[in-house]
Amino acid sequence: MTDSKNDNEDKRGTICLDIKDVVKQFPDVTAVDHVSVQITEGEIFSLLGPSGCGKSTLLRLVAGLESLDQGRISIAGQLVNDLPPYKRDCSTVFQNHALFPHMSVADNIGFGLVERKMPKREIRKKVSDKVDLVNLAGLESRYPDQLSGGQKQRVALARSLVLEPTVLLLDEPLAALDRKLRKEMQVELKRIQREVGTTFLNVTHDQKEALSLSDRIGVMRNGKLLQIGTPNQIYETPRTKFIARFMGATNIFPGRVVSEIGGKIELEIKNGSKVFAPLPENIASHSVIGFSVHPELIDIVTDKEKKLRTDPQKETVFPGRIKEMIYQGDYSELTISLDHFDLNLSTFITRGSEYDTQDIRENQDVVVFWDSDDNNILLAD
Amino acid sequence: MKQKSNIVAKILGGLSILIYFFLWAPVIVIIVFSFSSNKYGTSWDGFTLKWYGELFNNVAVKDALIRSLTVASITVIVSTIIGTITGYGLYKLHFRGKQFLRTSILLPIVFPSVVTGAALLVFFTRFIQIPLGYPSIIIAHIVFSTPLAVFVILGRMQRFDWSWEEAAMDLGATRFRTFLRVIGPIMLPAIAASAMLIFPWSFDDFVVTYFVAGIGSTTLPIYVFSQLRFGATPVINTIGTLFVVLTMAALALMYFVQKKNEKI
Repeated sequence: MTDSKNDNEDKRGTICLDIKDVVKQFPDVTAVDHVSVQITEGEIFSLLGPSGCGKSTLLRLVAGLESLDQGRISIAGQLVNDLPPYKRDCSTVFQNHALFPHMSVADNIGFGLVERKMPKREIRKKVSDKVDLVNLAGLESRYPDQLSGGQKQRVALARSLVLEPTVLLLDEPLAALDRKLRKEMQVELKRIQREVGTTFLNVTHDQKEALSLSDRIGVMRNGKLLQIGTPNQIYETPRTKFIARFMGATNIFPGRVVSEIGGKIELEIKNGSKVFAPLPENIASHSVIGFSVHPELIDIVTDKEKKLRTDPQKETVFPGRIKEMIYQGDYSELTISLDHFDLNLSTFITRGSEYDTQDIRENQDVVVFWDSDDNNILLAD
Repeated sequence: MKQKSNIVAKILGGLSILIYFFLWAPVIVIIVFSFSSNKYGTSWDGFTLKWYGELFNNVAVKDALIRSLTVASITVIVSTIIGTITGYGLYKLHFRGKQFLRTSILLPIVFPSVVTGAALLVFFTRFIQIPLGYPSIIIAHIVFSTPLAVFVILGRMQRFDWSWEEAAMDLGATRFRTFLRVIGPIMLPAIAASAMLIFPWSFDDFVVTYFVAGIGSTTLPIYVFSQLRFGATPVINTIGTLFVVLTMAALALMYFVQKKNEKI
């Protein structure tokens, strides 16, 4: 495993948005706290984090809707720190769409072109191109209050894309839509991005959306950018407790490093048992504070003897008891309390899995185990 | 129990009818008698339009009407523009003493007209030399009308989605172009509504105008007042009708614009 930063260095193309050591201070909170990130031409980069983590503020700083207190923001190599929004080579799709209510769909999309003093004929052509791109043909003369949520979203997208910005900024673009539509628009958004090739900087609090939409993800919390990586890296190897929980790796074991042998470390966890975990090259073993494991990696057997004597270097094994079982249809959620341990493990079994025939019930003693290579080490926040 | 609430409802209903009766009866009487051929304008002696003929041939009335319309028109235009800009500034800008300004702009609305009128007269004649007549009347009207516009505009601002402004600037419009193409048009119904409110407010004003008009600058309300020493003549009835019609027209127009305003 390599550090996400180095990994991205390798395949980096032209940098079209360069955010360097940016700070934004509001009266009662530091909304953006020394954030640096470089976004490459043509990628979809998502800023992911809970509400109030500063992701939207960072987007507004790039758009020029807020002024920054420290740092530098460059778009396509041009420093934009002091440029007003109307002079920046980027465009924003707002969360509530912000369509102009007194203008038709076509006039909304053409708004920016009129400001650029483009001849009318050219405007008409470009608008109709983008209307086709976002599948709105036939609705050009409608007004925003006659459109559905998804259609408004498409108009907002076309209105920004028609200006062919270097970076398209999307502020929770799908948050206002219902779940089904959100999924549909996710696919649509990706198709449109691949078609036009514009760089997308997307802001979202939805992990699933970030994972399925993005080329890279940056996780933010309390104004700080904690980790940058591909969806795989962020999901499978979250580096702090917060990111692990946020990405759904709810099983977190605090531990202390006792030894380091050939790319692996041995951790002593709370109940005194020893667990092995792989140590990525660029991480110093003394900074490890524990490990996490995703619920879907955990296996269960009811036959205790079978598992308790395996090699701890290969498998991590705990005896436990099923505390709670919640039926969800296609799968069942399990909460397992580990023996001699005040730690609850969450996992699930699917209908198709073999255990479903084994008659797993609440209060049953089981053994949980997983591949020791799946233990993902965590660093301090 | 049911009986009792029935009685209460009947009393309340009766009172309401009484209130509307006193509200409307005088107005209707004036309108009806303006068409009566009785020369004291107090009883019905058959239909006639001659009082209206007399009204429009009366040079003094015509002068006063033109003066009132001129004052009201200028007041409407200037007050609406100042009021819109002030409302925008009071809502959007953050500065020290904003709350004080926001509250004190309403003073002219709650101040007794007599006080405003007297104060303005003293101010115009003693402190700054504003000639009494058109200049003093128009300035006075703007003073007491602008707060109305500010009030209406501020109300609209509260329901305004400011991401429209951000979106426009983000799409390449300067602040000025944004006001011109987005904020202005969206606020137009509110601006029009404040204009329709200000028009009768200015057109009907008697007290303040009476103080600052000076000699020879008679507006219609002052003319009517001056004619009252000859008793209620049929011509007065026709002027009354004129007031009612113009004011109602402005109110009706405002109602429709407001309705459109609510839709956005």
